[in-house]
Order: sequence, then C-alpha cells, then structure tokens
Amino acid sequence: MLELTQTSKEIKEDIQLLSGQTLSDCYQCGECTAGCPTAFAMDPVPSQSIRLLQLGKYSEVLNSTGIWLCAACNVCGERCPRGVDYGKIADALRTIVLRNKITHVTLEQVDKNFILDAPQQAFIAAFRKFTT
Amino acid sequence: MKSEKKRIGVFVCHCGINIAGTVNVPDVVKRLKDTTDAAVVIDHQYCCSDPGQDLIKDTIKKEKLDGAVVACCSPTLHENTFRKAVASIGINPYNCEIANIREQCSWVTDDKEKATDKATKIIKTIIKKVQHDEPLTPISIPVTRKALVVGGGVAGIQVALDIAQAGYPVILLEKSPSIGGKMSMLSETFPTLDCSQCILTPKMVEAKQHPNITLMTYSEIDSISGYIGNFKVKVRQKVKYVDWDKCTGCDICVGKCPKKVSDEFNCGLSERKVIYKMFPQAVPNRVVIDAANCLYLQKGACRLCEKHCPFEAIKWDDKDETKELEVGAIVLATGYELLDKKMLGSYGFGKLKNVVDGLRFERILSASGPFMGEVRRPSDGKIPEKVVFVQCAGSRDQENAMAYCSKICCMYTAKQAILYKHRVHHGEAIVFYIDVRTGGKGFEEFYKRATDEGTLYIRGKVSKIFEKGDKVIVWGADTITGKKVEIEADLVVLATAMVPSATKEFAQLLKVTQDEYGWFTEAHPKLRPVETLAGGFFLAGASQGPKDIPEAVSQASGAACKVITLFASETLEHLPVIAGVDEDLCSGCAVCIDVCPYNAREIQIKEDGKKKTVKVIEVLCEGCGACSAACPVGAAQQKNFQDKQIEDMVEVGLE
Amino acid sequence: MKQLAYYPGCTLYTKSKNLDLCARETAQILGVELKELETWNCCGAIYSTVQDDLANQVAPIRNLIEAQKISKKLVTLCAACYNVLKRSNRALFLKENDIYCKRMMNYLETEYLGDTETVHYLEVLKNDIGFENLKSKVKRNLSGLKVASYYGCLMLRPSDEMNFDDPDNPMMMDDMFSALGATPVEFPFKGECCGGYVLVNKPDVATKCAQTILESIIDTGADCVATTCPLCQYNIDNQQKLMSKQFNLPIFYFTQLLGLALGIDEKILNFENHYIDPKPLLKQKGLI
Repeated sequence: MLELTQTSKEIKEDIQLLSGQTLSDCYQCGECTAGCPTAFAMDPVPSQSIRLLQLGKYSEVLNSTGIWLCAACNVCGERCPRGVDYGKIADALRTIVLRNKITHVTLEQVDKNFILDAPQQAFIAAFRKFTT
Repeated sequence: MKSEKKRIGVFVCHCGINIAGTVNVPDVVKRLKDTTDAAVVIDHQYCCSDPGQDLIKDTIKKEKLDGAVVACCSPTLHENTFRKAVASIGINPYNCEIANIREQCSWVTDDKEKATDKATKIIKTIIKKVQHDEPLTPISIPVTRKALVVGGGVAGIQVALDIAQAGYPVILLEKSPSIGGKMSMLSETFPTLDCSQCILTPKMVEAKQHPNITLMTYSEIDSISGYIGNFKVKVRQKVKYVDWDKCTGCDICVGKCPKKVSDEFNCGLSERKVIYKMFPQAVPNRVVIDAANCLYLQKGACRLCEKHCPFEAIKWDDKDETKELEVGAIVLATGYELLDKKMLGSYGFGKLKNVVDGLRFERILSASGPFMGEVRRPSDGKIPEKVVFVQCAGSRDQENAMAYCSKICCMYTAKQAILYKHRVHHGEAIVFYIDVRTGGKGFEEFYKRATDEGTLYIRGKVSKIFEKGDKVIVWGADTITGKKVEIEADLVVLATAMVPSATKEFAQLLKVTQDEYGWFTEAHPKLRPVETLAGGFFLAGASQGPKDIPEAVSQASGAACKVITLFASETLEHLPVIAGVDEDLCSGCAVCIDVCPYNAREIQIKEDGKKKTVKVIEVLCEGCGACSAACPVGAAQQKNFQDKQIEDMVEVGLE
Repeated sequence: MKQLAYYPGCTLYTKSKNLDLCARETAQILGVELKELETWNCCGAIYSTVQDDLANQVAPIRNLIEAQKISKKLVTLCAACYNVLKRSNRALFLKENDIYCKRMMNYLETEYLGDTETVHYLEVLKNDIGFENLKSKVKRNLSGLKVASYYGCLMLRPSDEMNFDDPDNPMMMDDMFSALGATPVEFPFKGECCGGYVLVNKPDVATKCAQTILESIIDTGADCVATTCPLCQYNIDNQQKLMSKQFNLPIFYFTQLLGLALGIDEKILNFENHYIDPKPLLKQKGLI
C-alpha cells in the first residue's frame, strides 16, 4: 500500500512530468477503454483511471491493480482524439509506485518452468515494468 | 498643399479613466497650448458622446477652425464618428484626424510620466499632419446591381429568392445538373420530421419560376476579375449533349438507355442510366449525358436516346459554353461534403459494406431512395435488426481527423434512430456518443423523444469496427459504468465530420480566405458572419462552417440583406486616401507596379509614345502606401500621407 | 554482397537461435549479408516512456551508434527490438527534446547524429530485396498454405513513430507470403495485442488476449499463423494449452516459413520447439 506524502499539486506535477501528458486534455470519451485489449480485467479501466486522476484521487489509482495490466500495446495513445497516451500515464504511475520501493512482482512468484521456457524478453520487460 | 496656415483645434479626451488614469490630461493641454501653434486646446471626459461631439462642433464654429485633432482611442473605433461630426458643419472630414493616445499610449504602460510625455508627442505629430491635409472627396464607383450566387443548395436558393424579391436580378450557379444540394438527399429533417424534399421543392420551383432569377446549373466558374460592384465572372456551362431548350424532361430516353452506372445521388446504393436526371424532382427538369460512360461518345455505338427522343433534343455536337457575367456582388453558398472514406481506417469505413455514413443512411431511409424507404443494408439487402450509430466519427478529433465539432450530427443521429425504429418496429437502435449537443429550438425535446421511443444511448467513443461472419462488431465503452461494450450489429451508421466543398484552388481563384480546414473566413466571427474581408463577397450556409438548415436559411437571408444594402444605391463610395502619380517626376520605372498588392497601378504611354509614366486605377487602390515607399524619386505620393507630412511628424516626434 | 548491420536481440541470440540462423541464411540466399554488430547490449525489451528514465533510454542508442560501423541501416528481426530502437532514436532528435538530447549525449562515448535507420527484416525484404526478386528465388512454393499474418502491436504503433505500414490494415507480411506462393487470409485482428507483456504477472489475461486473436483467425479457414515477435509466437502458441477452446493452429515465426520457401534445411528451421506441432500440417502440404 503506497502512502502518499507529497501534496496533490506535487503528485499531479510528477505524473504529468513523468508521462509527458496533460491530464486535463482528456475529455472522457472512453475510446481508450473501448480499444484496450486487457481492459476486461482492468480496474479501473483507462478512461476511469484518468478521470480519477483528474478528480485528484491519486492514492486510489496508484494503489489500484489496473495500472499493472497495461500491455503497452499503444492502441489508446494511437486512437485518442485528444492525443492523450494512457500507456504513458500508466507507465508513470507504475514508476511512482516502484520508486517508492514497492515491488509488484518478485522472482519467487514466477513459475520456474515458465522462466526456463519463455523468451527472456518477457522477463526483461517485466523487471523494468514491475520490479523496483 | 495649402499655403495659408490652418487654424487647428485639439480636443483631448479623458475616456473616463482609460486615458486620464495614466495620462495627465490637464498637463497635456497646458503643454500643447505652450509649445504648439494650435488655435484651441480643450479636453472633455468622453469626446465620442453627444455632448462631446457638440463641444467639438461648437468650438469649430465659434473659433472659426479649419481642422481638428481628436486625441482619443484608436481610429478604428471613432474616426468615422468625428469625421461625420465635422462634416455636418461644413468642414471637410479629411481635415479631422485622430491622435491615438489610448491603445498606443495609456493602455500600454503604467508609467504616468512617460505616458503623459508620449501622449503630448503623439498629438503634436498629428497637429503637423493636419496642417498639410488636403480636403478629399470620396470616389464614386458604379455598382452593377446584379448578384451571383454560387451554390444551389438550400442556402443558395434562399439568398437568390430574397435578392430577387427585392427587385434585383440574380444568377444562381450550381455545378450539378439540378439545384437542391444536400437537403434534397435527406429523408426527413429534424426536429419536425418534415419530408425534406417536400419542404425544399416549393423553394426550388419558386427559384426556377422567379422572373429575376436565372438558373445556371451544370456550370462552374473559370475565372473572376474586378472588384466590388464590378465583377466580371467567366462561367463555363458544361457540355450536356442535350439541348435544354428542347428537352422536356419526359424521361423516354432514360427508359431506352441500355447502360447503367453507379448512382451518385443514391451514394452508390443503386444505379442510374448514362443519360439521366439527377432525381425525379430535379430543377431544371432536364437530362444530361454522362460522357465518360456513354456508348456512343466512347465507342460510336447505340444512339437509342436520340432515336427515341420525341423532341430531337439530343445534341452530339454540344460543347462547353463560356459566358461572361457582369455582377456587383457574389454570395458563396458552396456547402459541405462528408469526411473522406480514406480516414477512419479503424472503423472499416470504405472497406466494410455495412458501415455507412449519415448521407448514405439518409438515402436508405428515403422513400424515393434505393430501397423505397425500407431500411435494408447494402451488403445483402436484409432488414437490419440492430443498428449502431457512432457519433463524432472524425469530429472533435484533433489527432486523427477534424478538431472541430460538426454541430449537426447529434441531432441527425437522433433523427435517424427515430426514423429507423419507425420503419423497423422491433429493431434495436444504439447510439455511441461523447456528448449530445442539442442547442436549437425543440432540439432537446427531440433528443428525449429518441430515448422515449427506445433508442439506447451509450456514452463512449467507438475504438474499432470489424466484420465477423455477416455481423458488424462494434467495440465501444460505457464510460459511466467503466465497462467495455461489444455490440454485434447488422448495420453501422457513422456520423462523419462535415468538411467544406470549396477547394483551396477555388478559394484562390476568388481570392477569398479560408481557415485551416477550408471553411470560408467571415469578416468578424461574432459581428460580421455573412461578409468576408474581400469586398463584394458574401457567405451563406455551410460554406462558412458546419450548420443546420434553420441556421443556413437565416444566414442566407442575412447575406441577401447585405447584397441588397450594397445595391441600394447606384454608386459606391471608395476611400479617397489613395496614392497618386506626379507625372513630372515619374520615369516609368514600374517598381511601384510590382509592389502594389491590389494591381492598382499600370503603365500608360503619353505624348505619342514619347513618355512612359504610371497611372493609378483609383477604385482598386486601397491606400496601403507600398508604392509610396518603393518609388525611388518620390513620384508616388499618397494623399494626406505625403512625404512632407511624414517628415514633419518625424521631426516633431524626435524632439 | 550487400552488408547490413544486424541486431539480433537477446531472445533470438539464445533461446530462439534457430530463428536468427534461418533469417541470416535466407538473407544470404537473397544477396544480403546480415552482419551482426561486433558488440551490442540488450535493447530493454520494452520502450521506456518515462520522461526522465535516461538509463533505459541510453542503452538502445548505443546499439544504433555501433551499427554505423557497418551500415547506416540497422536490421532487426524482433518486433520488440524494432519498436524500442526506432522510438529511442526518434525521441532523441525531436525538436522539443533539445535538453533531453543534450543530457543523453553526456552519457554517450561517441557523438551521434541520429542518422541510423532502424528497419525490420520485412522492410528489407520489401525495399532492399523486393518481393519480385524474392519470388524468383523460391524453391519450395508454399501454394496451398493459408497463412494468417499476425503483426502484433509493437511493429505498427505508435504509427507516427513506427511508420511501418497502415496500422489498421497492414499488408507487408501478407504481400511477402503472396510472393512465396502462400495464400494470406484477411482477419480483423492483425494488429491486436496478444498480451505478451503481462505473461509474467497475469498469464490468464495474456491467454485471453491470445485466444481472442485465434478466435478471429479460426473463422477464416487459415492453416497457420505467422508472427514477427518471439514473444507473440510463444504466447499464442504455448498458451493454447490453457485455452478453453482447442484451435490446433501452429504458430510460425515468419522467417521459418520464409526459410522453408527458400529451400533451407528443416533442421535449421527447427520445428521441434513448438507447442502445437506444425510438422503434420507441413507434411500434409508437401512442404517437408
């Protein structure tokens, strides 16, 4: 559980700086959610996640499970009519959690056979995305 | 220039605190009295007010003044006010000048000392200018009191009818064989659900029959020259291969023609013959031959139309015909198109047969359309049980398509959903929206009617549309519950963005500006919606921006009014502050001709070919001063902006 | 023989060595030498979009600099490497990233002007070799084989950075298979994500994504699927054991089929490591 110590203004600036996105650009059309391949399992879904951030509910989003399900496929950013890239926002949110030394995946959690079998690019990506 | 010194009065305005809050007006008055040769210097709280203007007039009369300097706000605001005031008491208005001590002084600094110094200086320069101002008379130009309306849609028709009713001749130009435009393609119109052609055709017929209206359809503009009140327009009447004086529109030829091609009026959902009438209620009620597909014109075969025409109207030796029109005003009512199929790839637009745009669906709904009013889908003609309507397809999308809102889609989508359910009672209509914009009279109530009658509105923008078997799958979202939504539809209707019909090339031909999307630019977005900055060109309908039929008609009448105002007098007044030519100094080097942006200068040969000088076409000169700056010998002087005047102003400005 | 700098990437260098070998063999046959960079480091496997993440952004750039010792074009086989290298290069030299660029330059040993062009092997086949030329070198015509060309997300998006093909309807791989005599089939999920990146933390989600893609392919009557990313191939192939429906669709890497068509030995192509064994299909089509 990530406890936030910064002010709302600071967190917002952090998120916008790390992601390079302007949260207020989003007009909540939902096209990102509509095209997201993993949104069926995400909570909150991309459009709701941005909405919660717009409303200042940073703790709720940073502690959610949805942000860890982003497969970095770029459909959201590609199709967004306002040019908001949720993939980048999710990356920034995960980075904030990880930089607070809260890891999402540990090596012990991963199936040994899977490690031997699967292409290592999956792990390399996972280590950057999911571990501190 | 006059040799006697003018008695000049200076009137310094406080403009409440707008000027006086920063500029020390009493101090300015004192300085001017002490250091200039102005005959009178007084101040007033609000010079532009009635008492203010009366003060100016009375002072001029009492002090027997020859000229006036009003130190106040920008001349764009009140130059005309004060010039009219002095003219009313017999002073030439061009001997009254404005010294702008607000926008160029009190409004750009907080430093009171600097502001007072600068205000004094500005006024001093204008006093110098007025000293050598000449009394000028506006130039009278004749006005051809005949209008040209480009575009025969509902807006163009309305403009033509209004101008014609006011008693002036109008030419209504249209590039298709018939007038009517997009409105003639619609099924019913919102919010009344009037049959579109039923309310339009009376106007179309009225336009045809009105003695002051000349219809020129199947025609295009090749070139335009001239200026406001005096345009020369070359119009090309395209070759029809049918003599419209003989043709009666009986349609026998259409019945006999053996070849069928895709019908553009029905958006490719049905076929028409090569010799065809655009639609049954076409005005004029005549046929044309589609040369590219005609068996005789391409291969030398057939000629059945000619064989069966009872009026011998087929004319194989027909050619394009060019006519030159002389008109005084041109109204651009060129309308809109819908977004190109090449965009919106993720919606399968242009690829999937059962993904159609709004106009195509109108033809499907239309009682005179390809399916005679039965709602059937393009791929197999089956009646769709579930129709998904996608709003904002290409609108409000700055990244991938058009950034603007196309205004009419929310309303016509609600209309199409209502009409679909009227025809297919058990059918399901689902609308994906981001917002529902219902700004007109009766519009919000109309939207409620759509939901009352069973249409489901889901708030979310569609991401992907694809085919699976004979169904069309729509991937959208409901942002309110945060759920992805997948719908298996039979037919998808995209409310695609409106884009302007007029091309960049056409705008360049007319020398009228367009905005970044191609909509014609109005003179002022709030206060002058039907005029352009190009004199003599007016705007009506969707050519200026997305709008619905009521707005198009209102704007059309507005544009007509502007034209009628222009025609109200036989002559037009042109600003006299124009450049001239001192023929003694002019060597005919023609540098000024190159720099003139208005083509207002030309070479003339005098004295039996011995002397070459430049001549000014006064009505074209807009007094920009470019020639004056460019002339190497000072032969191009602008009235009331003579080099001597500028030098005096600079001298006193640098004191 | 034309020489192009080649970046294999971690997976193709080790676990999927056969794909690397057969790719290089096919290039040889087509008149191009894919010369591996003398030294290279991991690209990072996923492009880091975090604006201050310099370490993860410097690593790919080093490979681009190294490439210039051989050629100004750097060829990759793996869609993930392609995505990372191309995006890193572009980000460095965007006008608005002036300060970022200067900072990055501090960490690089050599000066770099951003002029290495990252290309995917498919682009080499289309532009440098040409599909007509490819057609003439076919030894085993793949006729009768219906292939669903699955591009995945990383090659196509973001389309303004990748500039690879039409993101909604890519055809490059399909055209290549046509040149080899195979029949490419159309399906709507060519660019849909397989969920590969969440295989580690949420394998059931990845399985569902892969299943969605297979469901859209099975209706087309395709015999097999061709991919351009080792992770996609693994995911869509392997996870079929966890799927609720049996598809029995073999998943190839595009160079395997390319190698097959150009007459490369079956042993190099290595059809042993698949979960869904492709050999019965290939035998049935008379290709092995």
